[in-house]
Amino acid sequence: MDPTAILDHQFRVAAYIVTWVIQLGYLAWLGTKWRAQKRDAGRAGGLDHPGKSPAR
Amino acid sequence: MAACACLTAAVVHWIYRAFPMKKLAIGISVLITLALMAWGYYQAIYVAPNDAMQGEIFRIIYYHVPSASVAFLFFAVSLVGSIGYLASRREHAERAQMFDAWALAGAEVGVVFCTVVLTTGPIWGRRAWGIWWTWDARLTTTLVLWLIYMSYLLLRRFAAGPQMQTLAAVLGIFGALDVPIVYMSNRWWRTQHPAPVFGGAEGSGMDPSMLGAFLWNMLAWFAWGVLILALRYHVERQHQKIAAAEAQAALNA
Repeated sequence: MDPTAILDHQFRVAAYIVTWVIQLGYLAWLGTKWRAQKRDAGRAGGLDHPGKSPAR
Repeated sequence: MAACACLTAAVVHWIYRAFPMKKLAIGISVLITLALMAWGYYQAIYVAPNDAMQGEIFRIIYYHVPSASVAFLFFAVSLVGSIGYLASRREHAERAQMFDAWALAGAEVGVVFCTVVLTTGPIWGRRAWGIWWTWDARLTTTLVLWLIYMSYLLLRRFAAGPQMQTLAAVLGIFGALDVPIVYMSNRWWRTQHPAPVFGGAEGSGMDPSMLGAFLWNMLAWFAWGVLILALRYHVERQHQKIAAAEAQAALNA
């Protein structure tokens, strides 16, 4: 295979992987923050989902 | 752009309002978004042909340009939120908090997409130009945009006191002024970055065989961005409610 084409392929794959690492990394951080917040909301007596509050 | 920002904000607000009671609607939105992402990937890799000049590396455009477009759109959402906050903070406290949550969510998710632009761009540039980075107008103004919104997020993270939201709103408005400069930079100045593919000089545009893949990926990344924006908005609204409940509890103690 043409070495230029191999390099192009590797760089394209790297760009796609970097994109998904950034997006999914942010999503994971946001998910963690959301879960911690639900715990806090439960401690504060529940806000949007009072029936599901673990403190009750 | 402002109309798109308002429409995005309306969609996000609808998703947010639906959140506590319509889990099915959220599930369907997630499924549609994932299907669009998979379809966009299939179009980008298996349907669109290689570029005649650049070969496979050109396929980075299907992630790079939609990310830039979504970042611009979300910075516009942040602008609308910042203006709304400043306009309503005295008379309508609850509405002001809603605008503030929009401003923060737009800025933060916009930074995520702008980070994608600033990392995929140099990877593409290394193969296409032989260099990772150059201080041309398009790249530099994009980096400045990212730095302005990073400072916005750092201000919100570390500043305290009642003036923080007002200061952040002012910074958010000034930050958004860089968006049209970034967009116009490769029209106003000669840049290493290619001339605009869409809305550029005569003869600009994309080959029809690539256009479908490009538009599918635009739609997919827009849908993905709106979902993330809605989640971020929801988290911020919850944060505001918890803070208000804790302040009330402290007053009552």
